[in-house]
Amino acid sequence: MERTLTSTQILHIDRPFKLDCGETLPGLDIAYELYGTPSDDNVILIEHALSGDAHAAFYHSGEEKPGWWDTMIGPGKAFDTDRYCIVCSNVLGGCKGTTGPASINPATGRPYGLDFPPISIRDMVDVQRTLLTHLGIERLKCIAGGSMGGMQAMQFFCDYSKICASFICIASALKHSAQQIAFNEVGRRAIMADPRWNEGRYYNQVSPEAGLSVARMIGHITYMSENLMQEKFGRSRKDRHTSNIFRPTFEIEHYLDYQGIAFVKRFDANSYLYITNAIDNFDLITSISSAGRTRGVGRGRGDIQDMRLKKGLVITFSSDWLYPPSQGREIVKFFNALNVQTSYTQINTEHGHDAFLTDVKAQTEIVQGFLASM
Amino acid sequence: MSTLITRNHAIIEAWVTTGARVLDLGCGDGTLLDTLIRHKQVNGLGVEIDQDKIISCLKKGICVHQTDIDQGLSNLDDMSFDYVVLNATLQVIHKPYKVIDEMLRVGRFAIISISNFGYLQNRVRVLTHGQVSGHIRFAGDWHDTPVIRYVSVTEFMRSLHDMGITIMDARYFLPFGRISAHPPFKDLLAKEALFQLRRG
Repeated sequence: MERTLTSTQILHIDRPFKLDCGETLPGLDIAYELYGTPSDDNVILIEHALSGDAHAAFYHSGEEKPGWWDTMIGPGKAFDTDRYCIVCSNVLGGCKGTTGPASINPATGRPYGLDFPPISIRDMVDVQRTLLTHLGIERLKCIAGGSMGGMQAMQFFCDYSKICASFICIASALKHSAQQIAFNEVGRRAIMADPRWNEGRYYNQVSPEAGLSVARMIGHITYMSENLMQEKFGRSRKDRHTSNIFRPTFEIEHYLDYQGIAFVKRFDANSYLYITNAIDNFDLITSISSAGRTRGVGRGRGDIQDMRLKKGLVITFSSDWLYPPSQGREIVKFFNALNVQTSYTQINTEHGHDAFLTDVKAQTEIVQGFLASM
Repeated sequence: MSTLITRNHAIIEAWVTTGARVLDLGCGDGTLLDTLIRHKQVNGLGVEIDQDKIISCLKKGICVHQTDIDQGLSNLDDMSFDYVVLNATLQVIHKPYKVIDEMLRVGRFAIISISNFGYLQNRVRVLTHGQVSGHIRFAGDWHDTPVIRYVSVTEFMRSLHDMGITIMDARYFLPFGRISAHPPFKDLLAKEALFQLRRG
């Protein structure tokens, strides 16, 4: 089958962009991909998770791997590109084309590093709102994402309810629990404990690969269920004969090692710090009831009648212990209280948090059913 | 069998007021809620455990929660519904008292249907064949049928009385397609019964 090629576009914004924290970015690049032609009733905005990017589906020229959610986006798939126009952009603070700590600070001519201001999930969705305006998109049929993408979907839906008809939130939470913050903190500490991190100033040298790969290893442990990890790796070993007894020998050690190394090739350590910080500080209920919530174009939660016509879908996975089903049910309760018609499904799976990328069939049926009624 | 369900739906539709908030426990593919939304403009929510039925509901545009009713309705606020329906579902519930109690916590009125195990034909079957399995609505052998609760009209009414629940209205499904609100010998003659209930 012939591969459909896409490429990531960059939108340059040459005016100051005000952030939640009060600071201002002098300008902004937004990396995005667009599949299809937008109309008033066909646009779905896809939100990526911590390590994702704008390349959600199809292939980039010369690359073997398709976009990160290619199993869910495409002709006849859950987000059917024959019927809907799909937009996905790299988040603010990221390292895949959108402005982040690795971008050049115009004031100094050097990468921002830790001079990059703290960012929030709300800032991320504000950037996306700016992108949509630029693309001439004034209405969204749906906004969807998993994990951190689910947080953005909810934030966007609440902040810009007037332009969103529905949201889909997969394996996510209204706010992080102590345990979720704890795991992120260990990841951040691993990066900062790496001498190569050098207070975030490493862009002309070797990056803190050791620290970032440990952060990613921790992440991968939390993405998998205990059962699946046991079934996949158990206690099997790759090699025993080694001079250093602490070299990885167990399969699980090799797996985590591989994931860690693969990650440092494609991700920026400072982005990891900024984005996980935004995730930990995310608190939807506090955010939409705060004084600043009407800042920006088209802001405001709208009246209750407005919300009554809107729909939500929350999906959780039975074995996801990072974002457990109980957090999904809290999301449902919150949106039902706002009078959003919010449905809830829990997919039975052994794949843990990773299920949002692997359990395609069940999610496809659910998402297609939901979108069909819109 | 299907006609019995259809007739249940017609009675529930007549009972439910226009624009009411309706919760349907064990809503299946959402047929009842779909009817109520279209004919009575209700604000409906379904609860269902089966994934395929959930998808059928979503396709119809019905708001649905995938939950095990036996785990309780803790996600729903007190008195957040006008009617809570448990139609053709009581038979499969592990903790009926808890569920009925929860129904009248989240809703003002409960609508519950039961298959009457005291129905004459059931008594005759047990007497002549000496077996319980496969008698009403659900097929299956005793060990794998989802139907685990066998109750008669008399027993159910006694339970309601014990729980301090008042029967506001009832319909009994009699042989030859007849439906009555006050039949004689209902424990013997009713195949099925539908109750509208409130606390106190």
